Amino acid sequence: MEIIDKLKILADSAKYDVSCSSSGSQRANQPGRLGNAASCGICHSWSADGRCISLLKILQTNYCVYNCSYCVNRVSNDLPRAMLTSDELCDLTMNFYRRNYIEGLFLSTAIPSTPDNTMEMLLQTVRKLRQVHGFNGYIHLKAIPGADNILIEEAGKYVDRMSVNIELPSSRGLQLLAPQKKKEAIIKPMSFLATNITARKEERKKSRKAPSFVPAGQTTQMIVGATLDHDINILKLSEYMYNKFRLKRVYYSAYVPVTSNPNLPDLKSPPLLREHRLYQADWLLRFYGFSAKELLDDNNQDFSEDYDPKTDWALRNLDYFPVEINRASYEQLLRIPGVGVKSARRILAARRMHALRFEDLKTIGVTLKRAQYFITCRGKYNGEAAMEEHILRPRLALSRPGTNNYEQLSLFAFLPELVPRDEVVSTLTGEL
Amino acid sequence: MLQFVYDGSFNGLLTAIYEIYYGKMVPDQLFVRGNETQQLFARQEVIATDEVKAGKVYDAIDNKICARSLRHTYYAYLSEHPEAAMWIFQYLHLGWKIGNKLDFLLSDDRVQRIHRLSLKVARERHRLMGLLRFQLLKKNIYYAAIEPDHNVVELLAPHFAARMSDQNWVIHDVRRDLAAIYNQEEWIATRFTLQQRLELAQEEDYYRELWKQYHQAISIKSRTNPRLQRQCMPQRYWKHLVEMN
Repeated sequence: MEIIDKLKILADSAKYDVSCSSSGSQRANQPGRLGNAASCGICHSWSADGRCISLLKILQTNYCVYNCSYCVNRVSNDLPRAMLTSDELCDLTMNFYRRNYIEGLFLSTAIPSTPDNTMEMLLQTVRKLRQVHGFNGYIHLKAIPGADNILIEEAGKYVDRMSVNIELPSSRGLQLLAPQKKKEAIIKPMSFLATNITARKEERKKSRKAPSFVPAGQTTQMIVGATLDHDINILKLSEYMYNKFRLKRVYYSAYVPVTSNPNLPDLKSPPLLREHRLYQADWLLRFYGFSAKELLDDNNQDFSEDYDPKTDWALRNLDYFPVEINRASYEQLLRIPGVGVKSARRILAARRMHALRFEDLKTIGVTLKRAQYFITCRGKYNGEAAMEEHILRPRLALSRPGTNNYEQLSLFAFLPELVPRDEVVSTLTGEL
Repeated sequence: MLQFVYDGSFNGLLTAIYEIYYGKMVPDQLFVRGNETQQLFARQEVIATDEVKAGKVYDAIDNKICARSLRHTYYAYLSEHPEAAMWIFQYLHLGWKIGNKLDFLLSDDRVQRIHRLSLKVARERHRLMGLLRFQLLKKNIYYAAIEPDHNVVELLAPHFAARMSDQNWVIHDVRRDLAAIYNQEEWIATRFTLQQRLELAQEEDYYRELWKQYHQAISIKSRTNPRLQRQCMPQRYWKHLVEMN
């Protein structure tokens, strides 16, 4: 089989993996080697679905012994199979990188035999890429659940980021759709990575010569909409993993119907808005000081379609408002709907010079569409409506009568990592 | 009406600012030579670029305001916005009054304008770090053509010098006839036009085709969203992108 056919098959099989970010690692160039890693991450292209292409995202092989019903590569699915050798992968990566097509390699794979053999195969490729070809760009590698810790630890020396996919938000879902996979087997490498990353970070603090280990941290991904789990279960799971394993990111991937199976929901299109709401909430967890139980509870188990999670929270907690722009702490500013990390920082900077009026906020670039109902400037309230839930709710809803929802969805449906980034603040605002 | 014209270089701009500041003569317009609009009753003063004067202004920004303002000034200059020169003068004039807090004064138009220009330039630089495409020529040189809105070649060069340190490369701003050229040791910026047709290395077509196929295969059909694609990757950059042609 020609390389070009293998590439088509294996990229096609890899496309449902969401993560493509190349951020978080600062790998300096070394003489005689190719490449470096920019901590801000760089997008190199965008595909027709509007998702960014930063890394060469590809499977080493799509031969698989598993039969997970949500996955295109399941053994019972009749599709062309292929396998790339380490040398072929290295050649592709090096030549794409030299032409500035990509920021690095995201190597994943289906499971063609035992977990150990599979991990060994991936390890061989990244080792060759680093040692034989002198590749010094970004590498994101999948850790295979069930593989020996020694193999995972060895691979961690060569790569920038590793990820283990949690796949589905609950063990019940796993049992139903991927009976060969067990939650414990997925959690094990995750926790192994977490322990090692933390330990090596400590060592690096004492000695700069200590070898790096997965410097850009670990991430995970789960499919949304393939099971009956509520948003609250998903968000709580994310929160748990952020706290417990210090994950850099949890990726949510709207379930794309790839097969008909009685255990799978019958969807016409992937639940993109739901995915978007989860990302918004995920940002609130990581950068805005919110906790999962503030955003959702037993009465509201799923996010509303009409309100973003922060606005929804604000409408349920109006006693927290209005917030005085000139007095509020950074944390308080961040809780105002429509005020993000950048705006909050701008407010902090600008108010060092003088007390801010409502008009000043416009000049410094704070969007007031939603914020106006929740703030005072120098004690003055500028919202055109009284601060009561039944009055504000219809004003802040996305789907007002007469507006075209489809348009709005396409505007809002971008994944966070697609936002064009201003590298200077990107690490702070979390647009990674 | 008083017009100042300068030669378009950064030093020229700084010299002009020196003359305005010490000459106590504030012009109504400050232009790059060749870009000025002819006004019937305008008096025109041509500023001769003077490295010493420019150096003094440069140091005065760095010492009396701050390094960040210097960066904003330079980036705003690279934006090549027709009003940039005058706005920069107004920004710096304010800066020398209030010192290193200048960039906190976000509610002032003079500051905001410069920040906006500077941000545009920084964004384009970042964008092109990804969207620039090298092609391998017969003589083992990697060549990239770009047509940026702003003059960012000099801002891109250090990034690629650090990254592709074992390649010979040329980044060519086709619109401005400028290029950064790197020989595996150092890079220089120079005026540049192509003298002959590019002769591509043999394997070039092979990797281009692979990249195009990859680009198509990685897209999820049921999520197709061309509007979002254009929003993230504006169409004016497509001309030089292998995968979009």
